[in-house]
Amino acid sequence: MTFHPVGPASDFPDPSSTLVEVDDAPVVLIHAAGHFYALDDVCTHDGGPLSDGPLDPEEKTIACPRHGAKFDLKSGAALTMPATKATAAHEVKVEDGQVLVRLVG
Amino acid sequence: MTATLTSQGYDQAAFDALLASLDEPAWMTDRRRDAFEAFANAPWPSSKDEEWMRTDIRLFKLDQFAKPDDAAAAPCDPGLLTHGVDLGGHVQSVDGNLVSEDLSAELAAKGVLFGGMQRMLAEHGDKLRPSIERDIVCPKYDRFAMLNAAFWTCGSVLYVPKGVSVEQPLHMLSVLGAEKSADLSRTLVVLEEGAEATLLAETASASTDAAGLHCGAIELIVGPNAKLRYVNLQNWNNKVWHFAHQKAVVGKQGQLQWTIGALGAKLAKVNQHVALEGSDAEAQVNGAMFTQGRQHLTYNTHQHHEASYCRSDLLYKTALQDKSRTVWRGMIKVDKPAQRTDAYQRNDNLMLSEHCRADSIPGLEIEADDVRCTHGSTSGRVDESQIFYAMTRGYTRQEAVRMIVSGFFQQIFDRITIQSVRDALGEAIAARVQDLSSL
Ligand code: FES
Repeated sequence: MTFHPVGPASDFPDPSSTLVEVDDAPVVLIHAAGHFYALDDVCTHDGGPLSDGPLDPEEKTIACPRHGAKFDLKSGAALTMPATKATAAHEVKVEDGQVLVRLVG
Repeated sequence: MTATLTSQGYDQAAFDALLASLDEPAWMTDRRRDAFEAFANAPWPSSKDEEWMRTDIRLFKLDQFAKPDDAAAAPCDPGLLTHGVDLGGHVQSVDGNLVSEDLSAELAAKGVLFGGMQRMLAEHGDKLRPSIERDIVCPKYDRFAMLNAAFWTCGSVLYVPKGVSVEQPLHMLSVLGAEKSADLSRTLVVLEEGAEATLLAETASASTDAAGLHCGAIELIVGPNAKLRYVNLQNWNNKVWHFAHQKAVVGKQGQLQWTIGALGAKLAKVNQHVALEGSDAEAQVNGAMFTQGRQHLTYNTHQHHEASYCRSDLLYKTALQDKSRTVWRGMIKVDKPAQRTDAYQRNDNLMLSEHCRADSIPGLEIEADDVRCTHGSTSGRVDESQIFYAMTRGYTRQEAVRMIVSGFFQQIFDRITIQSVRDALGEAIAARVQDLSSL
């Protein structure tokens, strides 16, 4: 899998979470506390859109807007019920001011 | 394929241009205007709507898709369902443009009408108008229904007069060829009292990587004592967005056998609705789905019992691999007058990978008090002991899995009475199972 450009870093303020399309997949790109993260924008409980949920830059978590499950920004791990499975965490890098995402898995 | 895309969009100017290019009865134009007005003011469904909660269309951008002005080359393959079948007629479209149609002289002499929707409207508008105005598929059900009702450009009509039996199957093929092309088609089938017919409909993509859009509507009217066998094989490539509203109404003592094969599409959202509106009517619904990659297929089925002594029997079987996902929501609705209803719905899911997901949501809504309504759903992995057994008999692991998958679908195949359909579905599924990599 290759890295796909998703836009200039300046388009994603800190903190923010944005739905982007990477290789046909919905991915939530998160800019929090100076770091970029990319997760599958699909809650593993029942498919809720994580990009619409509250982001906690200090705790490094994003919560599903539907039933509140929290996910770790870095690993995608499900931290609270009702989700029990991790959502996929993808690789992100910034090159020449462009954010690039590579799908993992 | 050399079709040119016109990026006309779906605004007022595009709509006016479409109307100017059509030559159709004024009542149809009025219907389009009505639908367009609703379309222009309606929002897209969102994940906040119960029906769309599990179907994510945030990445869908309608303006990326348009119908090419000219029909691309005709498809070279006549269609999977035609193999070994002696057809009574066919209709083919490519990228929303009709490319060929025919009907045997014998059937035409019996008063059977079969062909492209535009020609049928021009030549037999008065005959078809009452059926169209029944709004079997509600043109304002959601924004996709409105889009289709306002902007449809092609499709097919089958009309079988009272008492006429069409022995040879009829065939419809819709192909998406050009990159980013849109197919907004409608199908109308009318079987008058005591008529009989078999209609094989299938969709295909000319290439594996051209993105496309299909937004369709299918209306089936099965009259009293009439008998329709309708097969619908959805075989788009995995880059196509597929939205469809499909509904059948069955009259007194009418019979419908409706088989769906759902193999393609990047994302599909289909509402399949059967209404038994006359007493003693019967519907059998068969669904076979096979998904792979990141495909997402949602099928909402609805068995609506409006009259007494009707029977409906629905079986959907799904096999999933890779990271694909399916959602099946089934509803049996029994109205108060529909006493002595016998209704059944079942969905079985075979999970072929760690990361696939199948949501199965059966439902019952019963207002009558003397009925039999049952439903069931299973989801499971391939049984390791079955694989082990087959391997001890000399099969490789992959052969064993393939055998188990075809065994899983056998129950559906046994219900399909048309040999070519059984073969085509079996072949198409087997071809995909060969790709199994995660096992
Ligand atoms: S769908 Fe995300 S917590 Fe339920």
